[in-house]
Amino acid sequence: MSRPRLAIAGLTACSGCQLSLLNCEAELPLLLERIEFQFFPLACSPVRIEGCYDAALVEGCCSTAHEAELLRELRDHSRLLIALGTCAAWGGVATLRNDTPRKELRRQVYGRHPLPDDDVPRPLSAIVKVDAVVTGCPPEKHELLALLGDLLRGNLPVRGTAPVCTDCRMRENLCLLQERGMLCLGPLTLGGCAARCPSLGVPCEGCRGPAPEANVAEALELYCQNGFDAMTVTGRLRRFCPEWNHDQRA
Amino acid sequence: MPLFILPQTALEPFMERLRTVGELHGPLRGSDDAVRFSFLQTGDQPDLTAVRSLLPPKKYLLAPDETILTYRPAAGYQTPAHETGPLILLGVHPCDLAAIAYLDRQFLADPPDPTYAARRKRLILIGNSCTPDNNCSCHQRPSALSTNCDLFLYQQDNGFLISVETPHGERLCQSLGDLLLPAEDQQLPPSSRSNFGLPLPAPSANELDAHLPDWQRLADHCLGCGACSVCCPTCSCFEILEFGGLDGCSAERLRRWDNCLFKSHSEVAGGHSFQKDRAQRFRYRYRHKYRGYGQLQGVPSCVGCGRCRAQCPTGLDLRPLAEYLEKERP
Ligand code: SF4
Ligand code: SF4
Ligand code: SF4
Ligand code: SF4
Repeated sequence: MSRPRLAIAGLTACSGCQLSLLNCEAELPLLLERIEFQFFPLACSPVRIEGCYDAALVEGCCSTAHEAELLRELRDHSRLLIALGTCAAWGGVATLRNDTPRKELRRQVYGRHPLPDDDVPRPLSAIVKVDAVVTGCPPEKHELLALLGDLLRGNLPVRGTAPVCTDCRMRENLCLLQERGMLCLGPLTLGGCAARCPSLGVPCEGCRGPAPEANVAEALELYCQNGFDAMTVTGRLRRFCPEWNHDQRA
Repeated sequence: MPLFILPQTALEPFMERLRTVGELHGPLRGSDDAVRFSFLQTGDQPDLTAVRSLLPPKKYLLAPDETILTYRPAAGYQTPAHETGPLILLGVHPCDLAAIAYLDRQFLADPPDPTYAARRKRLILIGNSCTPDNNCSCHQRPSALSTNCDLFLYQQDNGFLISVETPHGERLCQSLGDLLLPAEDQQLPPSSRSNFGLPLPAPSANELDAHLPDWQRLADHCLGCGACSVCCPTCSCFEILEFGGLDGCSAERLRRWDNCLFKSHSEVAGGHSFQKDRAQRFRYRYRHKYRGYGQLQGVPSCVGCGRCRAQCPTGLDLRPLAEYLEKERP
C-alpha cells in the first residue's frame, strides 16, 4: 500500500481539530509510518504547498482573501479536499454573528481606518468543492482515525445522519428537553458524539452542526411551546452554524 | 403450572438466592427518577411497580452499538466472545416478554444470529405483572400475562403469586423452596390480554395508500430524533458500518441500531430510496408495527408497551390512525 500524501491546514479557527489529531498519541507512530504528512504547518516545517496531495484536510472557516487563496491553492494541489470540523463544514463559532450590518460593525471596531480585506466568514464549501465533511467541534478522535483509515484505502468517510438524540436515547439518558424543559438542540444536531453533553446533564449546544434531516420548523415550535423566545433559540442555533433554514421540515 | 406465594418480606432473600444462580438485573429507579434495567447489587431495591423502563430489555440481546466481526492479519476473522454465565432479568412486564418472543422469532430463526443466540441462551426471565397507563396499548395487543418467561410474579397484597412457566423455572423454584409458601387453592388472576402476536386480518385498502394525508401529518411533526425505535422493544433494524484500521489491513464491522424514519434506512447504492419522504416512511413504520413484515407478515410487532408515545418529544401516537384504519377494513 503506498503512503498517501496529506496536507493539513487551518484557516480561521482555534486549531482544536488539528490538535485533536495530534492528541491521538498512541496512534501517531503508526500514522507516521503509513501516511506522509507533506504539509502540516501546525506540526512540522517546511511549510510550502508543492506537488500533489492525495487529500487536504482543512480546518476553520474562510474569512480573509489570503485564506481564500490558500484554500484554492490547496484545492488545486489535492485530489480530495476534506472539511475538518464544524468551522470548516458550517462556519462554526468563527462565523457567530448577530444581525448588525458589517459596515456598522467595522465602523465600531476600526473607526474610519480602512480594512485590507473584508470577506464575510464562510464555510469552505462557499469557496471550493468539498469532497467530504468530518464535523464536530472538535471531531471525535475515532472519527479522525476512521477518516485516516479510509484515506489509506482511497475511500471517503461514510457519514451518519442520525441526530444526537439517537445517541442520547441509546445511552438511556433521560431526555432533558422533554423531562427537564431544557433548550436541547439534540434533535437538530448531527450525532456521532455519543451524546457527550446530554449524558452529563448539559443540553446539546449543537456543536456538530445541523443533522441532514433536521425538522427545524417543528423543533422551533416545540422550543417555543416550552417557553423559549425566538431570540434565545435563534441565538443558540447560530452558535455553531450561522445559516439555518427555519422552514425546513424534512 | 405450579403456583407459589412469595411474601413481600422474602423478596430480599429471594433476590439474594437468585444472585447465587446468576447475575441479577432488574428495573432500578435512578437519582433522576427514571427507571432503567440495571445490575442489582445486594441492597438495591428494584422498582417492581414502575410503569416502564427507558430502554426495554432488548438492550440485553442487541446492543445499541457493537462490533460483530474483526479482521486482524495474525488472527484472521473473529467474532467477539460472549459472556456465558446466567443473567437473570427480574421484573419484566408482559409486553416486554412478548417483545422478546417476537425478537426470538426473528433472530433465532434459520439461520440464527450468533450474537443474539448467545445472549438469549444465558437469559433467565422473571416476569412481573403491572398496571398500564394511558400510553400503554397492551389491551389491544392482548396476551396471556406470563408469555415467554421462566417464572412470573403476580403482584398481590403483601407479596407475589409466582407461577412456574418452564422446567428452568421449576428448578429455580426448587432451590428457593424454603422461601416460598404453597399457594393452596389460589387461582391465576384473570387476564384480558390473551393474544399478543396473533395474526391479524389483511390490511385495509387505505393502509396501502402512500398519499393518505395522515402519514404527512405525522411526518410534519416528527423531529426525526430516532427515539421511537431506540426505545421500542421490538424494533431491531440496524445499520452495518465498517472501519479500516491504520495498519492498512485490519478492519472492524459494527452493528448499530437504526430507525426506519431515517432517510438512510431505505437508501441503496446510487442514492436510490425506497421510501423517499418521511410520510412514506411513517406508513412503513405503521405497517411493521401493526401488520408485521417479512416472514412475520400479519404478526403485529407492537406489543403496546407505550414507550414510543412516552418518549416522542412531539407526542406522536400511531394509535388513533391504527384504530381508524382498522375500522375502515372491509
Ligand atoms: S436530552 Fe437532548 S439530545 Fe438527549 S434525547 Fe433529549 S433532546 Fe435529544
Ligand atoms: S422497520 Fe421501523 S418499525 Fe420496524 S423494526 Fe425497523 S425501525 Fe422498527
Ligand atoms: S410501537 Fe411503541 S407501543 Fe408498540 S411496542 Fe414499540 S414502543 Fe411499544
Ligand atoms: S420519537 Fe417522535 S419525533 Fe422522534 S423519530 Fe419517533 S416519531 Fe419522530
